[in-house]
Amino acid sequence: MRAYSAAAEDSIDARNLLKDWLAESFITPAQYARLEPDTACDLRRTNIFLRIVLLLFTLIIVGAAAGLFFVVFLDRSSSQSTGIFLLICAAVSYAAAEFAVAQFRLYRYGIEEALVVASVAFLCGGMLSVLSSGMELLVPPACAIASLWIWHRFGLSYAFLAAMIFVVWLPDGWNVSHSAQHVVVAVLYALALIAIVAAPSRDHSIVEALLWLGIYVAINLQLSSVDLLEHWWRGPFSTADFSATFYWTTWILTWLLPPAILLRGVREKDRLVIATGTITAILTLITNKPYLGWPRHTWDPMLLGALLIATALLLRRWLASAPNGIRHGFTAQRLSAKDKHWMSIGSTAIGLVAPQAITPTPQPASPNPHFGGGDSGGAGASSDF
Amino acid sequence: MAILARLEQWKEQGVLSPDQHTLLSSLSRREPFSVFLELNLLLYAGILAFVAGLGWTVTTFSQQLGDVIIVTVLSAILAACVWYTFTRAAPWSAKEVPSPNLLFDYVLYLGALVWSVELAYLESRFHLLSGQWDLYLLATAALYFVLAYRFDNRFVLSLALSSLAAWFGLTISHIPSHQDATYRQYAIVYSLFIAAAGAITRRRDLKPHFFGTYLNIAANVLFWALLSGVFDRQNSTLWLVALLLACAASLAWGLVRRQFAFVAYAAVYGYIGISFVLLRNMNSGTAVLSYFVVTGAAMLIALVVIARRFGKEA
Repeated sequence: MRAYSAAAEDSIDARNLLKDWLAESFITPAQYARLEPDTACDLRRTNIFLRIVLLLFTLIIVGAAAGLFFVVFLDRSSSQSTGIFLLICAAVSYAAAEFAVAQFRLYRYGIEEALVVASVAFLCGGMLSVLSSGMELLVPPACAIASLWIWHRFGLSYAFLAAMIFVVWLPDGWNVSHSAQHVVVAVLYALALIAIVAAPSRDHSIVEALLWLGIYVAINLQLSSVDLLEHWWRGPFSTADFSATFYWTTWILTWLLPPAILLRGVREKDRLVIATGTITAILTLITNKPYLGWPRHTWDPMLLGALLIATALLLRRWLASAPNGIRHGFTAQRLSAKDKHWMSIGSTAIGLVAPQAITPTPQPASPNPHFGGGDSGGAGASSDF
Repeated sequence: MAILARLEQWKEQGVLSPDQHTLLSSLSRREPFSVFLELNLLLYAGILAFVAGLGWTVTTFSQQLGDVIIVTVLSAILAACVWYTFTRAAPWSAKEVPSPNLLFDYVLYLGALVWSVELAYLESRFHLLSGQWDLYLLATAALYFVLAYRFDNRFVLSLALSSLAAWFGLTISHIPSHQDATYRQYAIVYSLFIAAAGAITRRRDLKPHFFGTYLNIAANVLFWALLSGVFDRQNSTLWLVALLLACAASLAWGLVRRQFAFVAYAAVYGYIGISFVLLRNMNSGTAVLSYFVVTGAAMLIALVVIARRFGKEA
């Protein structure tokens, strides 16, 4: 059922590990040169930057080609014709992706990814155009199934994320209460999670993490409310749409779910699930006051920051105090070159943006600034006091 | 074949020593499991949240708390950070120096951010430099560069480059909102300046691992500035030529150095610039769509050729 054999994907994993071990000097360059041919496979890959650009240009071509065909041959056609045309485009795009993988053995190459992404987009647009009013509720399940198939067939994790997003729209057409919509989405995610955990297949770490996060977001009414932005800073959240029992049950669940996720991640030693547990724990702390209807204070972020720092330091100290710095199979030491690589990229990218994002809006100090006079303090410096 | 079976085979073939086999097998089984990255992310998020709350509190309660309390608290935090970093730092070296401990880089980062908050507060309350805000930015940038090179800290280097950009009259995260000619010139001067500075320090073997940070920021600022010139319609041909030259240089650098981010910059920025010039007077939808099909296909073919020849490794 998968487009790629398990042996080929194992070879790719093995090659990635070899590179990592070489970077950490666990193996010598001579050993790498000797072992690397053993991980050869017929799949054609490229690096992340070219992958993104190839995806971008393939999307441009597919979108423009479909638009051109429509303008030349189907201008002023009915909605039905347009829909059928888009459905044909979906089929053609998907077939092209299969052809690219089968013929050229493309693997995370950008081109085949753009084609399957376009096929789901065309399917969505085509069904919306073809189906009569009242039948649109078939669109989310159809697109969710298509996305799930693409995830299963090509192993693209973001296709699973797309399926999860389509699931959010599922209950819209069911004429059920807001509470029931949250429950339906959370239950569907939970069922998927059970299926994923039970499946003795390849590593589904990303998918499991996404599902945990999805369940949490569906349960946390302060996050999944459509009025989120409007209500975020204005004050207590309106509970009018939800019964008191449902509202407080979800509040309890927002406190129970993060430790459960963290426990699962720690037990399985799954980095992404641990990260999801941490993120949901932080989100619980952030949304607790709005949940309880308490006012926010300016020092709340300071307390949160102090808590995060203290947690990190205590954890590090606790791990480091064990023999060889390893406690219960965990260590605070860096073991992978990837960690350093991501830290390097992250510190450059986030370091430029984050300090400006967290500080108040700057204002020019001089009405007629001469050379210089940046309108914002770099490094978060600001004159807005 | 799973990695554990491969390791067993490689040991039997004599390519891996028994010790290596033991180590790599345990790493493959995530034994031990490193939470190094998670701890760093927690610390980074904690520092950002703390400084955000600090700045917000100072802004909101400056009248109620009074200058003495605010300046005292900020100075105390700053002094603690400075004391910690200078007492814990490893001896200076022009090469890459690992942090003495997990917390070190983040304490320095906290100190740098608190310095900015305190400086902004002092100037806004006492106008020590009579509103010469740009001088503060320049001095702050200089201080951050010194700290970044002394303590080998990329976070602070990013702050230094950001502060310098602010002094040049732009904010890196807000470039698209400033497309007038003045900002464009400053942006170009800034990008050329930091690219040259990065190249010189690398040539002198002074923290050569910082060069990538310099070059990526310089490339993006330069491309944004040149693109804004192309969009401006005045002398857009000249700006387009400059953009194409920059794209050629970026492409050549990316291919020679196998840094494919620069290939991506050349492809995307160049395509946007050329497309804008060619399409701006085109009114026919058919012609526009045909353009995207033909040029998109040409770009795709060129990128596939590049990917096959140069970019096979993921």
